[in-house]
Amino acid sequence: MSYTIKQIRLKFFELVPIFLLFFITLNGKSVIDFKILSINVHYILIYFWVLRQPQALGYGFIFLSGIITDVIFGLPIGVSALALLTVAAVAAYVRVVTVRISLVNDWISFIPALLLANFIYFMSLYFSNYSIDYLYLFKNCVFTFIFYPILWLLFTALLNLMKD
Amino acid sequence: METNREDVGIAIRSAFLRRDTQQRFSLFVLVVISIFLLFVEKIETKPLNYFRSAVKDTIYRGSEIISFPARSLGGSIDLLSDHINLYTNYNNLKKENDLLKDQILTSDYLTLENTQLRKLIDEQMVSYSNLVSSRVMLDKQSPYLNSFVINSGNNKNIKNGMEVLDGKNFIGRIVDVNFFSSRVLLVSDLNSKIPVIIESSENHAILSGRGTGNPTLEYLPEDHKVKPGHKVYTSGKEGIFSPGIPIGEVIFEDNQFQVLLFSDLSQITFINVNLGNEIKNK
Repeated sequence: MSYTIKQIRLKFFELVPIFLLFFITLNGKSVIDFKILSINVHYILIYFWVLRQPQALGYGFIFLSGIITDVIFGLPIGVSALALLTVAAVAAYVRVVTVRISLVNDWISFIPALLLANFIYFMSLYFSNYSIDYLYLFKNCVFTFIFYPILWLLFTALLNLMKD
Repeated sequence: METNREDVGIAIRSAFLRRDTQQRFSLFVLVVISIFLLFVEKIETKPLNYFRSAVKDTIYRGSEIISFPARSLGGSIDLLSDHINLYTNYNNLKKENDLLKDQILTSDYLTLENTQLRKLIDEQMVSYSNLVSSRVMLDKQSPYLNSFVINSGNNKNIKNGMEVLDGKNFIGRIVDVNFFSSRVLLVSDLNSKIPVIIESSENHAILSGRGTGNPTLEYLPEDHKVKPGHKVYTSGKEGIFSPGIPIGEVIFEDNQFQVLLFSDLSQITFINVNLGNEIKNK
C-alpha cells in the first residue's frame, strides 16, 4: 500500500514540469510583465528541466507548447517553437559538456541560451514582417537572466522532492 | 586541438541528433519542422486555411477553459477594488455628469446647425451600419502583439480588415478569421497604422501604435494646428474604414502628440464588428 502511494507521489512530481509548461502556455503567461519587469518564465522552465532532468520534459511537449503559444499570442506558427527548441538545444549541449552542477554554472550558461533564443525570435518575427520593440526585447532578456536564480531554487526544491 | 574539435562535434551530435533516453523526438527534427511551419505560414490555400482555422479554434477554446480560474480571480479582485473606490468613483461621476449635461446643449445646437448646412448644400449622407456584437474570448496581451480573440468568425460573415468598435469608439481591426473566432489587432499595437483626421485643426495623420502606452500621431503636416484636447476620428482615407468614427483625444507627452483612447483597451468585454456600411449620396 505504502509502495503504491509512493509510486503515485513520484508520478505526480514527475508530471509537474509538463503541467507547469502547459499551464503557463494555455494561460498565456509565458511572459510575466509587472511594471518595468518582464520575465520569460517559459525559457527558464525549459532551460532548467532540460538541463537537470531531461526525461521530465520531452522535446515534443516543448515544441507543442511553442505552437500553442504562437496561436494564443497571434504570432506566425513556429516562431515560439523555434525559440523554445533553441533554449532546449543549448541546455542539452551544456548538459553533455558539464560535469559539476551548480547555480553559478547554470546561470552563466543560461546567457548564450537566452541570447540565441531571443535572436532567433527576433529574426523570425523580422522576416515575418512583424514590428518589434527592441527595448522591450532587451529588457526581457535582462530581467529573465536576473530572475533565473529564484526559479532555479524553486525548481531545485521540486527536483529534490522528485528524487526523495 | 584536433581532439577538442572532435569533442565539440561529439557533444553537438549527442545533444541535437541523438534521441535521449525517454525522448521520442530528436531536437534537430523538431527544429526543422518549426522552420517548415514558418514557411507554410506564408502559403494561403483553402485546405491549409481550413486546417489552420480548426487548430486555432480548438486551441482558443482550450485556453479559454484553462484560464477560467485565473480570469475569475482577476474579476473578483476588480470587483473588490471597485467597492473600495466606490466613494471616489461616485464623486468623479457626479462631476462628469454635470459636465456632460452642459455639453448636451452644445451638441444639440451643433446637430441642428449641421442639418441646416447640409440642406443648404443639398447633400445628405445616410450611413447604414451592419454591426455584429461579439464577446472577447481571450485577452492574452503578448509583448509583441496587442490583440484579443473574439467568439465570432466566418460563421458571422466576419472578414479580415473589418473595423472593430467598443460601443461607438474605434479600437482596432480584424486580422485573422477562423470558423468560430477572430483576432482583433488593437490600435495600440506596433503593427497598427490607422489614417485619422483631427477635429478642429482638420489635419490628416496616421495613428501609429507603440506596443505599450498611448498610440502616437505620425506624418502630421509641418504647419499643423493640432493641440491637446482635439478629438481624433477615422478619416476613411483609402476606403479602409468608415470615416468619422471617434478614437480618442490628443495629448502632448514625451515631446510628441499622443492619443488618449476613448476606450480602455484592458477593460473590454463586448465589441461590435462593422460588417460593412453603405454610404449613399443623395
